[in-house]
Amino acid sequence: MAIPYRAAFQFLADRWTNELVVTSAGNSSQMWWDVTRDADRVFYLDASMSLSTLLASGVAYGLPQAKVWAFMGDGAFIMNPGMLMVERDLNLPNLTHILVSNRVYGGTSDLDLPNKPVNDYVGMAKSIGLEGIWSFETMGQLEGGFDAAFCGNAEGHRFVVLEVDPFTPEDHAIEEPPMDGPEIKFRFGRYIEKTYGAKVFTGQF
Amino acid sequence: MTGQEYIAKRVADQAAACGVELVASLPDNWMAAVIREFGSDDRFRHVPVNREESAVGLCSGAFLSGTGSLAVMGASGLMTLIYAITKINYTYEIPMTILATLRGAPGDKAKFHVSNGLYFLPSLDAINLTYTVIDRAEKIPEVGRIYDHARTVSRPTVAILTRDVLRGEA
Repeated sequence: MAIPYRAAFQFLADRWTNELVVTSAGNSSQMWWDVTRDADRVFYLDASMSLSTLLASGVAYGLPQAKVWAFMGDGAFIMNPGMLMVERDLNLPNLTHILVSNRVYGGTSDLDLPNKPVNDYVGMAKSIGLEGIWSFETMGQLEGGFDAAFCGNAEGHRFVVLEVDPFTPEDHAIEEPPMDGPEIKFRFGRYIEKTYGAKVFTGQF
Repeated sequence: MTGQEYIAKRVADQAAACGVELVASLPDNWMAAVIREFGSDDRFRHVPVNREESAVGLCSGAFLSGTGSLAVMGASGLMTLIYAITKINYTYEIPMTILATLRGAPGDKAKFHVSNGLYFLPSLDAINLTYTVIDRAEKIPEVGRIYDHARTVSRPTVAILTRDVLRGEA
């Protein structure tokens, strides 16, 4: 079973409050932009090949007063599952790693992942020692478990597996976030400076 | 204190003076004393990473939170970063600074680093990655200058330390 990709993202966007968001390559950047049109609280990290949650970890480490949601496609995840070891060591209570599992390389024509029928992301996370793990395969499960999985901020790192369908043909037609890299950096960084008082660009020397 | 430990302490002092708080590392034998120093120095949060790309992600995110950071690795590790650096740090113009080793240079007896001797610096040149080679201990303050330069130009920079410096022999 799996949740329609758009429905899962729309559900999260409807419950999104003050979290900083980091998206991953292709699908999650496109869909989060499509359902939120937000360009200030979101760092659209395109095609990083597995680095979205680690970039988000750096943000969360430096801003313990913030909450950070980080999307990671399973195509990226399997390139670097050892990232969970680093995240486990950091154990940042303000970071939620959202693994968007559709079992295909969604950003590159939906070609299959290796070993796709049996990849057990929850099992992988458990084997690395993660404790805050949730997995949702239906909208009902996501609705029922959202508060526990996404809303806490004091019990350590959170790893949430969303089993979703690949993009529909209509989803594939939505646009990429229409911003170049430096604009994304400055809008996100300026928002952090304004909201949290951090000196991202100012006072560096 | 051994010569290696003395050099490691000086490198750490330079990093602290820059405002570095977070240090992500993956070992190279030559860099081991430096990594141990960062791990034992309360001025830093040292994070061992699973691969060098993870350090790029972590340090780039730290920048966006206003937190000073440093990535520490060997030449081979840096050679694996061409995509991560060009995709993240060049595309988004995010500064970060890397400490690396000058593997494969004369004096390195490891045959498995012959390729680094041939292609390491030319590879950095090929992507216009700014670096400075620290081949004498008195040049260690260059770590601070190259760190500040990354912020000035909004690009990554690299401080490359030689074997003799890291062994406390130059």
